[in-house]
Amino acid sequence: MLMIRQAWRNIFRNIRRTVLTCTLIASSLIVIILVDTLINSMTGLMVKGITETIEGEAQIYHSGFRDQYDPELYISDPKSIISKLDSDDEIKTYASRVIVPSMIGSSYNSDGVVLYGVDAEKESNTSRLQSAIIEGDYLSGSDRELLLGRLIAEKLEVGIGDRIVITSSEINTNQMIQELFRVSGIVQFGPKELDEGFAFINLSTAQRIFNIGEGVHQIAIRFNNPELANSPDLDIYKTLPSDTLEVKGWLALQPGLGAMLEMTGLSTLIMGTILFILASLGVVNSIFMSIYERTYELAVSKAIGTRPSGIASLVLLEGLFLALISCFFGIIITFILGIFLQESGLSLGVMEFSGVAFPDNIPVKLTLDQYVNFPFYVVLLTLVAAIYPAIFAARIVPAQAVQKAL
Amino acid sequence: MSMVIEIENLTRKYGKGIGEVVAINEISLNIEYGEFTAIIGPSGSGKSTLLNLIGGLDKSDSGSVLLAGRDIAKMSGSQMSDFRRDRIGFIFQAYNLIPVLSAEENIEYIMLLQGIPSVKRKERVQEMLFLVGLEGLGHRRPSELSGGQQQRVAVARAMASKPEIILADEPTANLDSKTGMALLDMMRQLNEDQGVTFVFSTHDEMIMKRARRLIHLRDGLVALDERNSNATP
Ligand SMILES: Nc1ncnc2c1ncn2[C@@H]1O[C@H](COP(=O)(O)OP(=O)(O)O)[C@@H](O)[C@H]1O
Ligand SMILES: [Mg+2]
Repeated sequence: MLMIRQAWRNIFRNIRRTVLTCTLIASSLIVIILVDTLINSMTGLMVKGITETIEGEAQIYHSGFRDQYDPELYISDPKSIISKLDSDDEIKTYASRVIVPSMIGSSYNSDGVVLYGVDAEKESNTSRLQSAIIEGDYLSGSDRELLLGRLIAEKLEVGIGDRIVITSSEINTNQMIQELFRVSGIVQFGPKELDEGFAFINLSTAQRIFNIGEGVHQIAIRFNNPELANSPDLDIYKTLPSDTLEVKGWLALQPGLGAMLEMTGLSTLIMGTILFILASLGVVNSIFMSIYERTYELAVSKAIGTRPSGIASLVLLEGLFLALISCFFGIIITFILGIFLQESGLSLGVMEFSGVAFPDNIPVKLTLDQYVNFPFYVVLLTLVAAIYPAIFAARIVPAQAVQKAL
Repeated sequence: MSMVIEIENLTRKYGKGIGEVVAINEISLNIEYGEFTAIIGPSGSGKSTLLNLIGGLDKSDSGSVLLAGRDIAKMSGSQMSDFRRDRIGFIFQAYNLIPVLSAEENIEYIMLLQGIPSVKRKERVQEMLFLVGLEGLGHRRPSELSGGQQQRVAVARAMASKPEIILADEPTANLDSKTGMALLDMMRQLNEDQGVTFVFSTHDEMIMKRARRLIHLRDGLVALDERNSNATP
């Protein structure tokens, strides 16, 4: 107890130095928590941008379909899969789709698009299609409806009600087909690739014109708990896959995204390490200064019988207190900033990154484990930083130190 | 009479070659329990070096120091720490106390190192403060005490661990002569009443008159070792 009191009082002997050191440690803590939060929010948005826009959190498709988007690889009888999905508690919604690359033409222009046949009701719960409508109406189920991305609509110079001709080939026979549609709605997702390359019609219409019966190319899935989307323990991953059927979560579907998430995680780690090394140097320096200033006092302590380990413990204890004080204030400040940011979001201007458009206010959310983990590392690293000065102090030779000082 | 310190052919040199200084030169002497001894000599005569060697703060080049019969050269670092803690009391010229601890805490500190239980510690702290005439001032920090009072706390701390011997290196050097004299009188009182063995160094004529034995050092040699039969009371 006396040693704890001694250590505590020692760090207030030079208040200015303690304030500076603690400011250094606390700022590192605040910066790293905020950076981590920002990166988490951005990657979270990025993942949501991809999974919630169209792709879903998991997909079921005929083996090999995703390699080339070959329309011949469709699930010809999805009924049993659908009934499984309906009875699975983990699954919130799903949407079946027919996906066929097609030519799209207006009176003015023509271009290639990926034509989606979607189930209007299920799709509206699974993807952003309905909310992406900026003009006209969502699909109602009637045969000649077509939703068009904003950029392709501009290119084709068409508006609501204008005629569109889809040219493609029947899937099994490869016979050429041509169908007439009217633009019923214009959609805008944000990312350029989506807005210039996609067109949507009703699922039943697509199944009829491509002549695939009940067949679908893809079933996109959203889970009740999106965090679990990539967990191999999920029922659908364990029971559904077969020779002809693949079932994959978004991480497997988007390997690039996974790699990017790893990269951002790594960069937080690197940045955190650099920051903490710099802070640690500050800590080492400040503890050394305090030791130099009381060499005589430490020498007397040793002379009267304090063991080297006792001296080292005292110095480590002082390092611990510095870290705890820093974390205390660092956490309070981060908490206040967190409340502020949670309300206002972080404004970085309009950005698009990896095909995901960020809102210009990024919602920021701090989690409990950030308040626990990072301070824990800070305390740990401060103690590590204090080891060297502690050993140095423990090795002070009393006779020399006492003589030098007088 | 049994010996608390037995020194034989003790030598301590500093530096090498032309710059070599023989601070202690083949000294042999004994100190008995209950003595009140002054090591005297001009500055640079080797007083501090001798006291440091006796207290195990420094290592000799040759010769031996037996403290309560044990050869201090043969002890490991932490053995030496514990030995100093239990057997030797140290008082330096100044700044003996840990500034962030109160007088009481400074005295308690050494007993804490010894693992003495709390109740006993607190009791003994008050007892020590009384013996050095500082009852009531225990809660003060060193900076709130005068130089003489600080040295008294240092004496109290040195005695608290019940050592075999207290070594004081010029304990009065930083005090005015009246205060220094009072400190010395108090030390001698403790020597007479409590039987505490003191060895202190000084180059002050008035101070050395208080000692019962005077060991004169000159250039690392014992120039004279005399009993001071007419030591001033
Ligand atoms: N650390 C040291 N390095 C070199 N010489 C020293 C050292 N300590 C003491 N000396 C020398 O040893 C001699 C004795 O010194 P010291 O024991 O301090 O004398 P005193 O305490 O009587 O003044 C002096 O000549 C001094 O210069
Ligand atoms: Mg000296």
